[in-house]
Amino acid sequence: MSASSSQALEYLELLPRQTHTKLYEQPSTVLAVFRCMLPHLAKSIVMAMLYMPSPFPAADLDAWFRPEAKKEKEKALSVLDQLHIIVHRVDASRQVSYELYKGFQRSLRHALEGSGTHGSFGVPASQPDPNKVDVAFLDDYARKQWENILFYMVGSTVGLATSGALGQDVGTGTKQLLKMGDFVKVVNGRVNITQAGFSFVLQDTNAQVWSLLIVYLRNAAALGMSETDVLSFLFMLGSLELGQDYTTSTLSPTQLKLLEDLSQFGIIYRSSDDAPTFYPTRLATTLTSDASALSASQSLSTSLATTHTDTTAKGFIIIETNYRLYAYTSSLLQIAVLSLFTKLTTRHPNLVSGKLTKESITRAVSLGISSAQIISYLTAHAHPQMQKQQPFLPPTVMDQIRLWEYEGERMEISTGYLIKEFATEGEYRDVAGYAESLGVLVWRNDSKRVFFVDRIEQVSAYLSRKNRAG
Amino acid sequence: MNAIDGTVRQVKTDDTPPPSLLAIVLDTNPHAWAHLSSTLPLSSAIANLLVFINAHLASGNANEVAVIASHSRRAQWLYPTPKGPISHHPSSNGDANGDIEMNGVSHPNGSTTTTTPAKENANKYRPFSTVENAILSNLSNLLSSTTESDLASTPTTLIGGALSLALTHIAKSTLLHSPVDPLASDNPLSALADSESVARTQRIPLTSRILIISVSGDLANQYIPVMNSIFAAQRKRIPIDILKLAGDTVLLQQASDATGGVYMKPERPEGLLQYLMMAFLPDAVARRSLVMPSAGGVDFRAACFCHRKVVDIGYVCSVCLSIFCEPNLPGNLCLTCGSYLSLRAAQTATPALVARKKKKRKRVAGTDSATPSGTPAATTPMHP
Repeated sequence: MSASSSQALEYLELLPRQTHTKLYEQPSTVLAVFRCMLPHLAKSIVMAMLYMPSPFPAADLDAWFRPEAKKEKEKALSVLDQLHIIVHRVDASRQVSYELYKGFQRSLRHALEGSGTHGSFGVPASQPDPNKVDVAFLDDYARKQWENILFYMVGSTVGLATSGALGQDVGTGTKQLLKMGDFVKVVNGRVNITQAGFSFVLQDTNAQVWSLLIVYLRNAAALGMSETDVLSFLFMLGSLELGQDYTTSTLSPTQLKLLEDLSQFGIIYRSSDDAPTFYPTRLATTLTSDASALSASQSLSTSLATTHTDTTAKGFIIIETNYRLYAYTSSLLQIAVLSLFTKLTTRHPNLVSGKLTKESITRAVSLGISSAQIISYLTAHAHPQMQKQQPFLPPTVMDQIRLWEYEGERMEISTGYLIKEFATEGEYRDVAGYAESLGVLVWRNDSKRVFFVDRIEQVSAYLSRKNRAG
Repeated sequence: MNAIDGTVRQVKTDDTPPPSLLAIVLDTNPHAWAHLSSTLPLSSAIANLLVFINAHLASGNANEVAVIASHSRRAQWLYPTPKGPISHHPSSNGDANGDIEMNGVSHPNGSTTTTTPAKENANKYRPFSTVENAILSNLSNLLSSTTESDLASTPTTLIGGALSLALTHIAKSTLLHSPVDPLASDNPLSALADSESVARTQRIPLTSRILIISVSGDLANQYIPVMNSIFAAQRKRIPIDILKLAGDTVLLQQASDATGGVYMKPERPEGLLQYLMMAFLPDAVARRSLVMPSAGGVDFRAACFCHRKVVDIGYVCSVCLSIFCEPNLPGNLCLTCGSYLSLRAAQTATPALVARKKKKRKRVAGTDSATPSGTPAATTPMHP
């Protein structure tokens, strides 16, 4: 499971049983859930039970697993249980056995056999499209739309918002969604990225799409859509074929409405708003596949996030042990993301170079980016030359990035009061001693006669009593 | 600050199981399937197999499959369809017949919607249907191109050729899959030291296994090629799983035993799909936590090189370790390496018979791993 699908899994697990039941009516949904949500062993269990004529006795299941794999078994079973895929059954003689949930079983069988008349894997357009588009166009379109969204988010923070046309034509619906997901905050008409937004930007594309879609799903009810409808449509999108046009005539009104929003994200492409067909883009078709599993050749994140030249398609960042960073890219977005945590110095037509400095990292950390995020971003986009080593990044650099973050964490913030300007040394010692005995003293400096307390009530009462007495 | 020393540098903990390639060798020996037709006709076996392939493809997003038919006289690719000129037999008008039959096959629950490969089926996940269509059309090509003389000439199947095809395909896919081969560019010789270089790269991109669905009985005539394939698979750490629907051969038991695969000989071949799903679907990662069935007692007897018979006691060439069942070699020369080999002297002395060990022997170079320990000592070649 990649990070992206685990996000979706978390969301799915929280859904009530009724929603699951409704979801499992669509074979495409069931197949997608099976393909990307289940842990590896859970898949084996499901498949073993799929064509089993009788319930699977728990004792047999235990015997099937090696004793040392008990933990994995429990984990797999609990996921299956939470997604309402298996049912526990206790028969008359108190023997526990497991059974696949009937709807799930039926749909998964349909999906594997290709039987039934559900048509849930998308109905291709019957008429050939007069203005058919090719895969390259779709990739380009998806990349542009998605980069727009990202650029809209980072643009203002790194001060590049006005420099290009990027980030300008983001739909109002998308903007609203980003606000609802707490990825950006609009302050005085200026778009400010939030901490959640930063982690969003640094994720790989597949995970980004899912995060955005989950926000969408959470708010589906408010938009007057049924959650299950939206979800099963998304799962269907994941099973479509890139470069094929599909008809919109079989879609429900909700799904038609959804289609408009999705084309804003660049997840699907329509030649016009009322076109009878739609094309899924790579963002859609990789929804239910593991980008990380494809890290080698056709990873979405790399194919989308980089420039067109082949040399950069697999990653573009080189970091030396002296913290110098070279990024073979000319994409404004990537430069913007890099500049979040790098001190960029020079820019060439296809290369930017800079340095990871303490200052740049601590600035990023103060913006809410964690060192782990930076490292995983750098790892994910490491140049093939870097990928020859294991680990990809020089260990010194990784350690130093963490150290810089820890350094920031060394500072402990405590709100409180600074008490100063004591007339005499004796008075200072007396009050400071009292504060210390109370346990409210945080810091003191005897030579300057100042100290700091996090609670003042008792100290001020003590002071006023002292004044009255004196 | 001390906490930092304990940090794990490998940030990217990728717990995704690696993509797995399943190479299926399907024994399509017409004689053997004819015997089985009362319990498990080929058509329903294929239907079950297709569901199994889909299940495998669904189990991992980057999973791949390759299917090879080991037919009576040749081994033929079913999937992926080999590129380049495929020998089209003039009898391709038999396709129509085969197609209808096969379409019925592809829908086991009886809903026979006539699908032509070109038309999109909205009820089917696209990757599944492309694989299915390719397998079915290639298989019907294969069956329709089988002539009666082919059938008459041999009662067995070309499992050795099919195994080598599977191994070559796996080797090629493994190479294609490893995105950066760190050693290849630095040292072109490293490609030769195959298993070592694989072990050194951290990211093993593809786990492969071979599944042989065998129905034919006696395969001893292919002892040498099959054994060679087994050792190649062993070296490459590719498990060979055996599903023996009918017949019995020593050879395939040894194959699964030597490579750590699953061996299964179901009593009721009708339940093929359940056997496939339960025993053969889990890949290498899942197998680490599951108890997999294996052949209980493995027959380690070897086949002789002269008549391809399985022998209890044989004669071994002291130079090349070839096994012979009888001492009368033409011209007292070893058939394999041609060195002088007089076995008659060995014949007179009563061979010392040691009780055969049941112990598995793992790694012994060459074919001698399969020789029983009670082999009579062959005389050293002496020149007259």
